[in-house]
Amino acid sequence: MKLHLPPRVSPQGFAAALKAYEGVVGKDWVMASESDRDAYSDIYAPGDAEQWAASAAVAPANVEEVRAVVRLANEHKTPLWPVARGKNLGYGTAAPRMAGSIVLDLGRMNKIIDIDPKLATCVVEPGVGFFDLHDAILRGNHPLWMSVPGNGWGSVIGNALDHGIGYTPYGLHARNLCGLEVVLPDGDLLRTGMGAMTGNPAWHLFPFSYGPTYDLAFTQSNLGVVTKAGLWLQPAPEASLELIFDIPEEGDIGWVVDTIAPLKISGLIEQNVFIPSWLGKMVLKGQRHDFWDKPGAIPEWRVAELLKQYKLGYWQVALRLYGEESVIKAKAEIVKAAMKRHLAAPPQENWWRQGDAIGQYEITMGVPSAVPLQMSDWIGGRGAHMGFSPVVPASSEHVLGQLKRSRKIIADHDVDFYASFTIGGRFANNINMLMYDRDDAAMVSNMKALFNALISETAKAGYGEYRTHLGWMDPVMDTFDYNNHALRRFDERVKNALDPNGIIAPGKQGVWPAAYAAQRHSAPQDSVTKGGKA
Amino acid sequence: MTRTILAVAAIVLGASVALAQAGAPHAPMGPPPGPPPPYQLRPAYPAGDRTAAGGNGKVLFEAHCGYCHLAGGMGTNLVTKQQMMMGRTPDQGLLANRTDLTADYVKAVVRGGKGAMPTQTRVDITDAELDAVAKYLGKAG
Repeated sequence: MKLHLPPRVSPQGFAAALKAYEGVVGKDWVMASESDRDAYSDIYAPGDAEQWAASAAVAPANVEEVRAVVRLANEHKTPLWPVARGKNLGYGTAAPRMAGSIVLDLGRMNKIIDIDPKLATCVVEPGVGFFDLHDAILRGNHPLWMSVPGNGWGSVIGNALDHGIGYTPYGLHARNLCGLEVVLPDGDLLRTGMGAMTGNPAWHLFPFSYGPTYDLAFTQSNLGVVTKAGLWLQPAPEASLELIFDIPEEGDIGWVVDTIAPLKISGLIEQNVFIPSWLGKMVLKGQRHDFWDKPGAIPEWRVAELLKQYKLGYWQVALRLYGEESVIKAKAEIVKAAMKRHLAAPPQENWWRQGDAIGQYEITMGVPSAVPLQMSDWIGGRGAHMGFSPVVPASSEHVLGQLKRSRKIIADHDVDFYASFTIGGRFANNINMLMYDRDDAAMVSNMKALFNALISETAKAGYGEYRTHLGWMDPVMDTFDYNNHALRRFDERVKNALDPNGIIAPGKQGVWPAAYAAQRHSAPQDSVTKGGKA
Repeated sequence: MTRTILAVAAIVLGASVALAQAGAPHAPMGPPPGPPPPYQLRPAYPAGDRTAAGGNGKVLFEAHCGYCHLAGGMGTNLVTKQQMMMGRTPDQGLLANRTDLTADYVKAVVRGGKGAMPTQTRVDITDAELDAVAKYLGKAG
């Protein structure tokens, strides 16, 4: 990775800034070699990772060091890109949006400060990974379950702050945050909620502040550096039942959503219900060339053969119920009766009761794993993936419309279709996984064209993404166009007021401080249309 | 040949390859769940100065690399498959069993990444920790 200096910073100024940071964190924790820059690059980058090149990384050990680094960043005008553990795979990993930014790596701040088994909360620092918290809960024998994303390698706080989702009743991770400690862009220190009162024991229990509540303003945000957070956990249930339905046809997703969403909204189903398409299972059975050895999308007839051979439905619903056994049994009857109206085959039923061991792949029981990342190997080479992730209302009309639209665009680009819908309540997150070999220039170029087409066509139909890769943060923000981009205008007014030097994460989610506004659209990924241009 | 190896790999790796699915894995068939596999209950990170030389390579490997490279982990699954494709035995999927790794190779892969494995920063694993891990895994010198 080449050395890209921050805008308007001279080599001399950059060296002085690094020296100053060394004075705070020690020489070992200012990382500025070529190999360091490589390590903080986006290893899954579609195309040239130089577009999102870090100039260096600084790793503070505690909140006081974070405050000192932030103050120095203002002084030296060297913008910081905070990362918790930097494992935001598929969305940019640890790499910054603006080339030349210095990664503020919070990975050393990895203390689990408290676990409260009675009120089912924990307090953690950003460097705590899902595996780490899981280990601590197991070692402490606490009756608590976590909610984990597909990749359990990342940070608990980082994932929640980036609006990550899991597949348990606590699957909307940002909603589990309760009470943050935040270093503001001028180095000041804020505690939200009841934490605004010194020593208040309800800090991580009551979700509001006295007056405006800012917690979510620090998610997908560049308004501060979260250095500590309370997080609600799920009390381990007495029992749990998994109901697995194989759903035969592509179009069946319509009735599946119309059946499950009302049960989720009513509270009968508590978890986020994940519904992946068949390729989600195939990626773990081997590599693509084991099943289809030609370039281009696997043709329909071969897909039909594979589904038959491996006894897979086009979709699968693996629903999980939690709680007292008698309650679960009653709920299960209601779910089964609702599904039976459309599907004759009964579900497979897997009971779990307190005292039973929990399998290592039980993501719906909050067990972290990195195994889903094996899909990186599907295409081969330096495998990579990106997720195209629009949100749609949880009804057949919208889900089928979205499916049809993205399915056609993906087919037009001759790419394998791998999608999932996660019913989170009144909405569904549609994640379209796009897998590619980073070293195949034609494939990367096709993926970028496909990604652009997906964003613009989906926006034309009225839907937006909940999260995106660095390269598309501006184009996706452009799609939120109501009242001449009122959201972005508001975001940037707040940003400029709190961070006049623009030193925290310029460009995050398409929000640019005045100091770096010229960098907007500085990583053009060809063209996206609607409300703006790339 | 490929299919045979895949089938064998799936059996050898137990639930991991055959049953997991991206996003929401579950086990519709296969062995009953047991205690957490090693990669899910790694040793605690050793306390003390992470930049000091002379750490315990085995403990550091298990704590820092174990997420993926202990039994059942993603890296083990992929390496097992690669090793079997080369005609080696499935136990070679565990890096600790390998006798053909050199310390320099270990360092190069950790800092440079390989295939699906991302590059590791010096916060993920410090140079001193990596030296100890490379010495532990680098049985070929």
